[in-house]
Amino acid sequence: MGAYSTRDNGGGGYSLSSLLPYVAISGLGFVGLYMLLTGSGEQFAVGEFILSVSPHMWSLLGISLCVGLSVGGAAWGIFITGASLVGAGVHAPRIVTKNLISIIFCEVVAIYGLIMAIVFTSKLNNDNDTITSSEAYYKGFALFWAGLTTGLCNLVCGVTVGISGSSAALADAQDSQLFVKVLVIEIFGSIIGLFGLIVGLLVSGKV
Amino acid sequence: MATLPPIASDYCPPFAPFFGLMGVASAMLFSSMGAGYGTFKSGIGIAGMGTFRPELMMKALIPVVMAGIISVYGLVISVLIAGALTPSSYSLYTGFVHLGAGLSVGLTGLAAGYAIGVVGDVCVRGYAYQPRLFVAMVLVLIFAEVLGLYGLIVGLILNTKSSNLC
Repeated sequence: MGAYSTRDNGGGGYSLSSLLPYVAISGLGFVGLYMLLTGSGEQFAVGEFILSVSPHMWSLLGISLCVGLSVGGAAWGIFITGASLVGAGVHAPRIVTKNLISIIFCEVVAIYGLIMAIVFTSKLNNDNDTITSSEAYYKGFALFWAGLTTGLCNLVCGVTVGISGSSAALADAQDSQLFVKVLVIEIFGSIIGLFGLIVGLLVSGKV
Repeated sequence: MATLPPIASDYCPPFAPFFGLMGVASAMLFSSMGAGYGTFKSGIGIAGMGTFRPELMMKALIPVVMAGIISVYGLVISVLIAGALTPSSYSLYTGFVHLGAGLSVGLTGLAAGYAIGVVGDVCVRGYAYQPRLFVAMVLVLIFAEVLGLYGLIVGLILNTKSSNLC
């Protein structure tokens, strides 16, 4: 029994990291109820906050999140696939050149993010005379949400293609006729990023 | 000199498109997450069973196709909502309606995609051992897929309820 070390706090002890979500939620709830019950509930104004942030900030946050999150997804996919590819290639070095196509699929996700960020950047201009008009606010919101959608969809797509590419490399190392069939799964995964691109183009096209 | 920001006290405030756009984003995002999880999780099972029974692999690709359909649901509602967005004469009511439509499609798509992934992974491994399980696998996958369809129905009904009275 003494050979195992357990994280025993003597029965009934809690670590800080397990309590933190409960502390945070009850703290926010306390503050919210206090504001509501003492008549200052209207100070929590979502619309005022949204309008007080400059439209330039919204646009540029969207553009940077687009390229940042897409590249993050591509990186995640590349390291998942690359680790499996090189690991399986120890005993089956023939698979390496053919399976580089999975890494290229992940890289394409980063290119989608790059292209969309360049398209969004072409819509920016320093129109300070009309900065408080509805059109300027709409442009800020549209670029923010289009960039965020494209970025997060590409993040998900990169992870999906990465894991599918890892499965393809491992299956190819076993039996080389399996590669093409598992590649079909990767293609289905990459259409997710394409849909994010389409939505991003649609939303920012009206700006 | 720039003018002050507009006061947000009318029925069509300038921040109303923020919520409509949030609906577009959440529809596409969450259904992509579900579709992605379904694709890679069942893909792991398919690649694994293919090393033993490669001749059954083409029929075993069904979970991957059904996960792809989940992302199409998200795309459909995103395109519908994005077509209705305008910078002016867009009421806050319509913004919240579009947010609700997008969230309903997105979250149900996330759940359906997660179910398709787990079911697809386990069922294709069983299908490799017992080919008569194919019909059972398709039935369970259809029930998981229809969860995403329920969200799409609610999203489409909500979308018809938008009205821009300022």
